Amino acid sequence: MPRRYGPYGGAFVPETLVPALDELERTWRTARRDPGFRRELRRLSETLGGRPTPLYFARNLTRRGRGAEIWLKREDLLHTGAHKFNNALGQGLLARRMGKPRLIAETGAGQHGVATAMIGAALGLTTEVYMGEVDMERQKPNVERMRLLGATVVPVRTGSRTLKDAINAALRDWIANVRTTHYLLGSAVGPFPFPAIVADFQSVIGREIRWQSVRAFGRLPDLAVACVGGGSNAIGTFRPLLRTSVELLGVEAGGRPGSVGAASLSRGRPGVLHGTYSYLLQDEEGQVRETESVSAGLDYAGVGPEHAFLHDSGRARYVAVHDRDALAAFHWVAEDEGILPALEPSHAVYAAVREARRRPKGQHIVVTLSGRGDKDLGVVTAHAAR
Amino acid sequence: MRLDSALRDARERGDPIVVPYLVVDRARHAGLSATVRALRGAGATALELGFPFSDPIADGPVLEAASDRALRGGTRWEDLRAAARAATAHLPSAAMTYANPVLRRGRERALAELASDGLSGLIVPDLSLEEAAPWRRASDRAGISLVLMAAPGGSAERVRSIATVSRGFLYVVSRYGTTGRSGTGSAVNLAPIVRAARRAAPDLPVLVGFGIRDRRTAERALDFGADGVVVGSALEEAIARDPDPESVGKWFAGLVPRPR
Ligand SMILES: Cc1ncc(COP(=O)(O)O)c(C=O)c1O
Repeated sequence: MPRRYGPYGGAFVPETLVPALDELERTWRTARRDPGFRRELRRLSETLGGRPTPLYFARNLTRRGRGAEIWLKREDLLHTGAHKFNNALGQGLLARRMGKPRLIAETGAGQHGVATAMIGAALGLTTEVYMGEVDMERQKPNVERMRLLGATVVPVRTGSRTLKDAINAALRDWIANVRTTHYLLGSAVGPFPFPAIVADFQSVIGREIRWQSVRAFGRLPDLAVACVGGGSNAIGTFRPLLRTSVELLGVEAGGRPGSVGAASLSRGRPGVLHGTYSYLLQDEEGQVRETESVSAGLDYAGVGPEHAFLHDSGRARYVAVHDRDALAAFHWVAEDEGILPALEPSHAVYAAVREARRRPKGQHIVVTLSGRGDKDLGVVTAHAAR
Repeated sequence: MRLDSALRDARERGDPIVVPYLVVDRARHAGLSATVRALRGAGATALELGFPFSDPIADGPVLEAASDRALRGGTRWEDLRAAARAATAHLPSAAMTYANPVLRRGRERALAELASDGLSGLIVPDLSLEEAAPWRRASDRAGISLVLMAAPGGSAERVRSIATVSRGFLYVVSRYGTTGRSGTGSAVNLAPIVRAARRAAPDLPVLVGFGIRDRRTAERALDFGADGVVVGSALEEAIARDPDPESVGKWFAGLVPRPR
């Protein structure tokens, strides 16, 4: 389990958290080799989560692209409606193994909060979820879902009142309650060992893509596309494909034209936020910038350290897609395929259709459809009315 | 005078070490010299200048709000430098800043600037022992003491390693929690931490911070065997109540523990 990815990663944290991070690392090292743990993870992934999720040929979206075939990896069909389930289940089992009775989490889109609330309920752990006020407003259905699942949702009113500030609040809670609490971090960000653990639990996406594409069209895809907020569904998609010839494309939120959006890799530079050294949207004084995106799940100034490394090495490419293009792609998926995608992967779909246009018909593109769009109906209908 | 020698002298005299923490805020710059003089008059041994950061994860609500206000008021790195030049005329001083503003400036450049402005210490609350090596090397070259933090929950062995690497003093976090008054952070027996630090670095002063707000909490830190305390959030609250340097000095004098 690497502590660093090239120069990126590490653990820049207050000393109070170090023993808990060490304990988490030790627990994960033994758990991942423990057949009992792996069996339990697998059993619950299948029977509670619904894995494996299908790889679906998007015939009409392909027609729209008039080029390479577009296939959707249906993480939106997973229990609780997004890939966040994979990580919440895995870390929930680790928390139980460590004997921690309480879970805390941050959430932006609310999907990670819902997944954590679900696993808290299933494993009998008390759950509190920090969520920026702006996000509580724009992702209201998920706030209600968390509450119904028995979690407490704590509004965060500091800073930009979005994901970054929710992580700050969760870290502060963890510092105060670290002996009894596991911080179930929701993306491949934060201090070591979080990026490594989250990538491990999400890699099930890429592993399934590997065998499913061979089964569906006889070989690996030519290109894999995923959206990048903190980067967990993208690293889960990419990791098992790293040592193949599959091209990898990460799609960040571009916000409105002319804004910085939330495109850390495309428009940021390296720095330290939330315990990790990675690309970061910051001003010339090293203060973290406020971000802007139509999608709460991508609205984050940082990005996981492994993506920083893949970006610099050129193994993966990263592009930014504007709000309006992501919204257009939302409607394409809805009208062409009868699927309501979340706004986060709608960014990836837009980039995938653009890529498909440039590629010959014989090629295959797999897009990770990381979540479903029920939570976004308010935002989408408000934009449609404009 | 330098931070190291000021703390060592106080320790040899048997005086409790008391280090106030001031948030660098450009709106308060005009009154800074007078405030620092008043703190010195009230018994302060040295000073910490806290440079605000947008995401101060180790700070509780009081310092977070102070930091936020300073940034919204346009506080910049240049203001830290100006504050350092003004403060170090009266008290030996250390800068406290999160890692990123230093990295963005360029670590070597930032340290050289701070040294040339008279600062002799640097505290980075999000710098763990594991990440400290390049920072220690750069601080040594710049003539700045890199102060590391120890906290409850770490093994004695870990405290010893931290004390061995730390320079200037060892900053012992008093409890599980962020800076300031905290509802959830419970009191911890710090004596084993202090003992472990002493064994590894007998000459390194040990100061306790986080939640020190009056003479009682300061004296409790000394009871654990520490040489002194750092006072941040409570001082910020006192300044917010009455920024007049004389009042600040009077409040601070009321906190300074009796020599023992
Ligand atoms: C559906 C969905 N996709 C993607 C993301 C972005 O997170 P990550 O980059 O960690 O996959 C989120 C985050 O909330 C999400 O809800």
